[in-house]
Amino acid sequence: MALLFNYQQWLFIHRYAVRDIRRSYKKLWIIALTLFISLLLLSLTFSIKQSLNDEIQANSKELLGGDMQISSGIKPLSGEQLQKLSNIAEVSQTVNFFTMLSKPDGGAVFTDLRSIDEHYPLYGVVQTEPAGAREKLLIETGAPAVLINENIQNQLQLKIGDELKIMNTIFVVGGVIASVPDLTNSAAFGEFAIISKREFAKFDLRAASSFMKHDTRLKIAKSDDYQRKIETVQALLEDDKSIRMRLPQDSAQSLRRIIDNFSNFLNLVSVSAMIIAGIGISNTLLSFINQRNTSIAIKKSLGFSAKTIQLIYFYEILIVLFASSILAYAVGVLSPLAANAAIPESFGISLQPSFSLLDYANVAFIGLLVVLIFSIPSLYSIPSIKAAALFRNTFQSVNLHFSVKNIAYLVILTTILVAYFVLQTRVQLLTLYYFLAFFISIGIFYSVAKLLIFALRRLPAFSNNTYKIAYRNIASKKSLAPIITISLGIGLTLLLILSFVADNLKREVVDSIPSMAPDIFFVSVNKSEKEPLEAFIKNLDVDAVMEFNPMVSAAFVSINGQSVESRVSRDNRSHWAIEGDRRISWSEFPPEDNPIVSGEWWAPGNSDQMLVSMDARIAKDLNVGVNDEITLSILGREVAGTIMNLRQVDYQGMGTNFAIMINSAFADQLPYEYVGTLKSEIPSGEIQAQVVRQFPNISAIKVDRLVSKVGAIMNKILIAVTSISLIVIVIGMIVIVSAVLVQTSLRKYNNLIYKILGVDFATILKAMTLEFAIIYFTLLSFSVSAAALASYFVVESIFTLQWQFDLGLTLMLTVSTGVVTFALILLANKNMFSPAVYPLIRNE
Amino acid sequence: MTMNKSAIQFSDVTLSYGQNINRVDVLKGISFSINTDEIVSIVGPSGSGKTSIIMLAAGLEKTSSGAIKINNEDITSLNENALSAVRRQHVGIVFQSFYLIPNLTALENVLLSLEANQKYNKDEDAIALLTEFGLAHRVHHLPSELSGGEQQRVAIARALINKPAIILADEPTGNLDEVTSKNMMQLLFDYTRKQQTALVLVTHDNDLAQQCDRIIEIKDGTIV
Ligand SMILES: Nc1ncnc2c1ncn2[C@@H]1O[C@H](COP(=O)(O)OP(=O)(O)OP(=O)(O)O)[C@@H](O)[C@H]1O
Ligand SMILES: [Mg+2]
Repeated sequence: MALLFNYQQWLFIHRYAVRDIRRSYKKLWIIALTLFISLLLLSLTFSIKQSLNDEIQANSKELLGGDMQISSGIKPLSGEQLQKLSNIAEVSQTVNFFTMLSKPDGGAVFTDLRSIDEHYPLYGVVQTEPAGAREKLLIETGAPAVLINENIQNQLQLKIGDELKIMNTIFVVGGVIASVPDLTNSAAFGEFAIISKREFAKFDLRAASSFMKHDTRLKIAKSDDYQRKIETVQALLEDDKSIRMRLPQDSAQSLRRIIDNFSNFLNLVSVSAMIIAGIGISNTLLSFINQRNTSIAIKKSLGFSAKTIQLIYFYEILIVLFASSILAYAVGVLSPLAANAAIPESFGISLQPSFSLLDYANVAFIGLLVVLIFSIPSLYSIPSIKAAALFRNTFQSVNLHFSVKNIAYLVILTTILVAYFVLQTRVQLLTLYYFLAFFISIGIFYSVAKLLIFALRRLPAFSNNTYKIAYRNIASKKSLAPIITISLGIGLTLLLILSFVADNLKREVVDSIPSMAPDIFFVSVNKSEKEPLEAFIKNLDVDAVMEFNPMVSAAFVSINGQSVESRVSRDNRSHWAIEGDRRISWSEFPPEDNPIVSGEWWAPGNSDQMLVSMDARIAKDLNVGVNDEITLSILGREVAGTIMNLRQVDYQGMGTNFAIMINSAFADQLPYEYVGTLKSEIPSGEIQAQVVRQFPNISAIKVDRLVSKVGAIMNKILIAVTSISLIVIVIGMIVIVSAVLVQTSLRKYNNLIYKILGVDFATILKAMTLEFAIIYFTLLSFSVSAAALASYFVVESIFTLQWQFDLGLTLMLTVSTGVVTFALILLANKNMFSPAVYPLIRNE
Repeated sequence: MTMNKSAIQFSDVTLSYGQNINRVDVLKGISFSINTDEIVSIVGPSGSGKTSIIMLAAGLEKTSSGAIKINNEDITSLNENALSAVRRQHVGIVFQSFYLIPNLTALENVLLSLEANQKYNKDEDAIALLTEFGLAHRVHHLPSELSGGEQQRVAIARALINKPAIILADEPTGNLDEVTSKNMMQLLFDYTRKQQTALVLVTHDNDLAQQCDRIIEIKDGTIV
């Protein structure tokens, strides 16, 4: 019986709320809109992330290139190993290495060159223009073919059939690569070319082996003993420490990490947007309640309890939330289809929409938490609406209600919200800090508004009409100042921080690095070619500054006998240093600009023992120190050495810096090659062309090209990141507009009175402008200083770069935000300027 | 329902606002009792405390001292929720300014007092009552589409539909013309008598007061 009763009551609340929404949806659209936009951002994040991961999962074999990938680094697998493998599975071998591609009549690019056998690719297809160009690689008559990607085609202005020189061989361009199944970075972003394994063998590269990457991929027939075969292969190669084996589930690790980080960032932006939307919801809901205080009083006089009335309004908000979240999620689910259009073809990715009830629940739950948090103070104003007012015809507007109980609710709900986000991410501390900073910012911007009002009250009053009206508006109880500072302040600060950091990083890459860095890098310089090259360049430019360092490839195997993989987690900042082959160098003396921070440099002449000098920062991350023993695999041979000292390496110098150096006496016994740098007055393109013509085996990389490439990629990322943070500003603007809309009748009334008092329209407009200008400049002074401070910290301490303030950028961002916001405020007030104000007089 | 059953009982009720020098003593010891079948008018000059008595009886204001019983239940120490319950079960209020909910139709406004008591799907009863009040053709109209007299009839129907023990009416015809007022009051008298509902009517209209069973005259917060 009691249950039936309750059910009936719920039905009543439901019916009442639905009816109310239907009859006054116009008042709720702002809530719906802000909820929709912020939930949409969240849904997009979830959905795109899900689809990307699904796509990676579904294509994991294509991405890996087989059922198993065996990387043997700079040397190929032995004939015996290959023989055994081919008994188990279909085998395909590729070699990747960097070299120069040059046009006979000038022009050269440093390229990631892949040589493939007839089995490649084991999974997926190489897409080319014209289709099927891969087959040309296998033809043995005439000049051998090379497939190039679009970047090379554009840079060297090549067409099919053109000649291209690699090492000493002339190739013919057979086609343009659109995509390869594995997401090779250089295929997507850089310069990438494919030749046949047969042609590669003819290069007879032994000395230049340091930049080579040999991969063997296996395709195992689908059968019952699939797993057993994998295990057999693993057992077979287990003892060879220079070999790394990867299975499909490990493919695209770095891509997964990028997706993870980006979606974390998006999540934080969406929750910021949601919270600001929440401020708008709270404000709109309060005015909604105030507009209905007569109805609420009537209901109370009829004996409805405050709780029932609260439930009705809360239920209305829930319906709006439900509708907005479904719509937002639906758009989110379909978004991968739109994303496909934006993803470059060279990625070879095609996303599928994926619907998941869990994801929707996730979106709706976050929405519910935010709505709960921000509607509680508004809904709890309902008990203070008195039915007694109906007898006296006097209604006082109610305010947000913060009782001890309410505050306790808010703290609990906010904690749940924060915990929900923190627990879902891998960067928990950072997320927690973000929330902390965010809530503190809300507090600060609220205080800023209060401070402004306080200061204005203290200031001597001007008799100027414009000022008086503006002053009254700001200092009034219904002041727009707090909502403008909070909802715009946070978004603007976020945008400014990101742009300031971005701007500084970009300046570093585009301006600072080129001025310090060399013009050209040389790699793959044979021992025998070093001196002729030096002489050749001296001949071109006597004043050229060159520096050559001996170099050999080495991979980390173990630290104090413990394998590096088990010791260093993937999230470690210095994980890159132990990933695959790294270049190490040597010297009998400590490098000039690398001060030793711990231990001592070695005495020369100890050829039996490998002595190691390590980058102090990496040592700290890997938790090793002086006297620890590390084992390196150098050219396939495992060598143990003792760490003698730690150096502070300045990578920004972009000279040749080495994380690991060893003693010359020991290293001289190894086969090695040189890397070098060159700074010269002669245009780098000219030197590059001459060197490549004379020394086809040496790679000469133009630094300006490298820098502009990095600059361009960074630019794209930064534009994406800043435009996403713009969403927070947009939400802030909607919140402000809603606050203005809520106030229009009050403002209309005030302005009418001013008019009646003889204040002309121009003065009212000027007063509005002044009012906004005062609030906005106060907000700006805090926003810009906070952003400058935060970005200073990030740039100087995290990136250890020189921070600079860019006035032009600051002005551009703040002025445009201000102008747009003010335009929107005017637009929201447009009724005020129309003759429709006159009925007000008749109503009075 | 037995005769002489007490609907409202005020025992030495006082009401004051403010403290110290700002203190205003609005009611200074009011005692009276009204039975369920009685129609009583409260008269007195402006500011004498008539509305204050109605507000106290409706449980919308707290006494400073003394006790008030509604349907023999002492409401002086009840909390907000319990007062709401007393109000929705036993009290109907008619205001001078009608106070219909603007975005609900006439019918929906009337149903609201049933729904407050968790009585649902009583559309027929409400339509029947509105029809008796001559509003059959206005059932689905919004208050803004009704005349003042029609609005007040809807408000009276809303107060009566739940058959409360007491109707409190504070100058219900104050905003209406003379003819309309007369008709309106006839309606109210007829129905309260029919339903054995006590009616407390605050009015400035002497003729109207004379038609009631009893007149309570207030002056300066005391009964004279
Ligand atoms: N909140 C309050 N604080 C102080 N005094 C109040 C308050 N509310 C009402 N009063 C005073 O109480 C007195 C009685 O008011 P009440 O509304 O009951 O008078 P009334 O008899 O209904 O008058 P009218 O015929 O004009 O409606 C008035 O003098 C009024 O000023
Ligand atoms: Mg009165």
